[in-house]
Amino acid sequence: MKLARLAPLAPLAALLAALLVLPWLLPEQGYVLRVACLVLLFAAMSQAWNIAAGLSGQLSLGHAGFFGAGAYTSTLLLIHFGLSPWLGLVAAGLVGAALAALISLPTMKLKGHYFALATLAFGEAMRVIANSWGSLTGGPVGISVPFVEPGFALMQFQSLRPYFYIMLAALLVTCVVFHRIRTSALGLRLRALKNHADAAASLGVDTAAAKLVASTISGGLIAMLGVLYAQFQFFFDPDTAFSLAGISIRIALIAIIGGVGTVAGPLIGAVLILPIEEATNAYLSSHAAGLSQIVFGAILIAVVILQPRGLLHLWKPRRR
Amino acid sequence: MKINIRNSRRGAFPSDARRRLLGGAAAAGAVAVAGVVLPSVVRAQSKQVNVGVVLPLSGANAQFGINSRNGIELVADEINAAGGIKSLGGARINLIVADGTSTPTTAASVAQRLISQNEVVAILGAFASSLTIAIAEVTERRGVPLLTMSFADQITGRGFKNIFQVVSKASVIGRAQFDYAVAIAKGAGEDIKRAAILYEDTAYGTSQATGLRAAAKDANIELVMDDAYPLGITDVTPLISKLRATDAQMVFPVSYLNDSLLIIRTMAQQQVNLPAIGGAAGYVIPDFVKGLGELSDGVLSISPANYDSTPQLTDRFRKRFGYFMVHEALEHAVCLGVLAEALETAGKADPNLLRDVLHRDTFTKGWSAAMTPTGVKFDQTGLNTMASPVMVQWQKGELATVWPKNLAKAPARWKGKSV
Amino acid sequence: MELLQAVVNGLLIGGVYAVISIGLTLVFGVMSIVNFAQAEFLMIGMYVGYYGWLRFGLDPILGAPIAFGIAFVIGVLIQRFLIERVIHAPDVAQIFLTVGLLIVLENLALVLFGSEFKSVRTGYQTSALSVGGLIIGVPYLFAFAVSGVVGILLWAFLRFTWIGQAMRATAQNGVAALSLGINIRRVRQVAFGLGVGLTALGGSVILPYYTASPTSGGQFVVLMFTVVVLGGLGSVLGAVFGGLAVGVIQSVSTLVMPIQLQNLALFVVFIAMLAVRPQGLLASR
Repeated sequence: MKLARLAPLAPLAALLAALLVLPWLLPEQGYVLRVACLVLLFAAMSQAWNIAAGLSGQLSLGHAGFFGAGAYTSTLLLIHFGLSPWLGLVAAGLVGAALAALISLPTMKLKGHYFALATLAFGEAMRVIANSWGSLTGGPVGISVPFVEPGFALMQFQSLRPYFYIMLAALLVTCVVFHRIRTSALGLRLRALKNHADAAASLGVDTAAAKLVASTISGGLIAMLGVLYAQFQFFFDPDTAFSLAGISIRIALIAIIGGVGTVAGPLIGAVLILPIEEATNAYLSSHAAGLSQIVFGAILIAVVILQPRGLLHLWKPRRR
Repeated sequence: MKINIRNSRRGAFPSDARRRLLGGAAAAGAVAVAGVVLPSVVRAQSKQVNVGVVLPLSGANAQFGINSRNGIELVADEINAAGGIKSLGGARINLIVADGTSTPTTAASVAQRLISQNEVVAILGAFASSLTIAIAEVTERRGVPLLTMSFADQITGRGFKNIFQVVSKASVIGRAQFDYAVAIAKGAGEDIKRAAILYEDTAYGTSQATGLRAAAKDANIELVMDDAYPLGITDVTPLISKLRATDAQMVFPVSYLNDSLLIIRTMAQQQVNLPAIGGAAGYVIPDFVKGLGELSDGVLSISPANYDSTPQLTDRFRKRFGYFMVHEALEHAVCLGVLAEALETAGKADPNLLRDVLHRDTFTKGWSAAMTPTGVKFDQTGLNTMASPVMVQWQKGELATVWPKNLAKAPARWKGKSV
Repeated sequence: MELLQAVVNGLLIGGVYAVISIGLTLVFGVMSIVNFAQAEFLMIGMYVGYYGWLRFGLDPILGAPIAFGIAFVIGVLIQRFLIERVIHAPDVAQIFLTVGLLIVLENLALVLFGSEFKSVRTGYQTSALSVGGLIIGVPYLFAFAVSGVVGILLWAFLRFTWIGQAMRATAQNGVAALSLGINIRRVRQVAFGLGVGLTALGGSVILPYYTASPTSGGQFVVLMFTVVVLGGLGSVLGAVFGGLAVGVIQSVSTLVMPIQLQNLALFVVFIAMLAVRPQGLLASR
């Protein structure tokens, strides 16, 4: 019956309802709400990465390249042409998708470690370019989103609550996209080539096209998230927007710890990792710098050893 | 083997196990969040005033962050030992120190935490300009004063009302680096026509290079070499080879420590005996002389401030920490000194009141006076109009202020001559 | 003349890049794992060299074998207790295990040694030989010489010793090696220890002209990867060739482009190599 099929959705709905109410329970410019916004944003970024990595096995360590490109595209359009970031989202998405398609070409045939290395080089190359092309990007000094009156039109708000809802919407969009791809014909093709590329090809799966589509969507989405980041932080520089450790590795980590290839993985990972990072920074950092990072690295190692496929799979029933 | 079609279609929706896991994860996350939220809501008691400190205590700038923290702690301890802030009933200064790491996002979150959780009355930090700018976005919107010694031009260029910078800006420092050097050379009888600049390619090097370039243009001096290099450069030989091939009369390197050592050593190796005028950072810390020994003698550098202008204050740092008071420690000490004075005048631990006092008053008492040359007065953009960079020179393992003449504590030495 | 000088400079420093990177390629060859934390062992080697100099007055180049030894032991332990666990796990686990290792090692160094940059002072640091108009920095020459010696020793090891041959066998075909009675677990431990030991040795050797800090390893990551990719992941000879090539590319590129972009040149070479010939220039398969 209809109701019975919808029953498993109940916890999701409850979670969603709780999230919708949350910002009103917290001080509107407070720290906790800020962390919550970042959790949602990183979960969304991780989900975007998950589309390429989880569904087709393309473990990219260079997603920051698209992310930063999106952030710069929208912010530069805003600064030079007064273009609203809402439209900037579209521009960023196109730029990100184009870059992803571009980088897919030379890396199409690479596997595993090689692919990771190539994408790492791409991300770093973007960073160096942004740093050196000062006339376009402002160089290493970074750029700031112009300080304007808070308002919807220019996606700038005094309170953190609107940001929360925007990030939440972004997260929902990425989750829906992930789910739709996964359960579609494309998803089946991706799963086939992820498990055994040659077998898939011999069955007539156009592996190149499938990978290209997945990676283009992934790149476009994360570039759009870069716009949200820019509008939230108001300031960024090449080292931040194209950061290997802070963006590329981090979003992969989040998905891995949570369970790469599942829709809930990035959510779980983000909810665990970001608050833990903040907590360790709050309690440990002023006593001995670096301790918080050691704890964090150790947790990563522990998770990877205990269950290389992510925490989610710890509970997954064994498929026979 | 039955293929469970129902499950694969609802692949993304939680099965029983996943649902429990999601609940568990949410709970774990909630515990972590609670762990951050609950404990530290410290009300500003009448016996204590909270001052936030955000510095890079890990990552590549950790050393500078730690130096800065030392400077701040010295002043805080002194003030507290002398009875705290009298106008607040003897309230102790309570430093809440947090690691800004090297990521602006984290620094901004940390600043937010200090404001919301710890209700700090002001924030000091964050050494690196990119961290400071990110934090400024938060403090401006929350109306909390931010005192800093970062000097990228952008910091005071945004029309913010809550930013207070105790040193000159990068372009001014870059200019001074150039102009003072030319003046010293002239004093020694050398007319400068050609110069070279090298700079590391982060915000620090790039903004200072802009100042150098502008000064060269105004002085009609040709820049025969103008090169940025990546911060983590592992080998500067090609750079110095290139320098040797030009006929520059002096070189202006703007570097952190690793690259400064590389540059000076490689110059010696390749027999490039040009006077080098550094751009602060790596050139003015004890590790420079420790790394180069005698080779450091005679190296000039610009610095936003120097410890020999107020030895009666800065010697206390040396006594407690065992090394001379490096300029970032000094400037952060000045920040706290200014803040303490402002608190005394304001009589209330209120950020809004503080902001007005900071804009209005001139600060020359106590540690504020350590700011070379005489003290601190902020203009409407937050810049300290009394700040003046000085040229320092390594002489026998110590940094002596040698230019401008009226602030010099020792004569400058240029190619063997005293100026 | 400038070009010749640039090439000579590039070769000198390339020799060091080779020694540093050989370890990375060895580890990949034997166990198909890209050790993202490899550069942290460079940092470990630097610290060993530094303290050897500080406490015992030992020149870092002479202290390099000690750096090798210490890193070898640490490497074997890490392999035995951590890496071995993910030998058969998906790529994603292997990659992120070593990434986690990178984070832990770098911050452990920060906690143990502090953030200050540590530099050694040796007599020959600022000397240079003048050979026919070319200037050859002495510390670079020493580093190159040591790299050469180490390279030859490694070649002999792999060629003539039992365990070296076992390593080559395991790299070629693990299952076959196993069936021949080779204890491939032991081989993997030794290979990893050897690999990180070599990188640590390289770290100590470059200390006269570099500084030790918790983040100094990170500066070499991209370099090391470019070297091994150029030469072919798994090929020791390839790493030598790749190291020299990268050194020369870096050096010569500064004659035509701003030095700021020297890494960009490397990235382009890197991606192009992976796209066109991922097995590297020297590998035969």
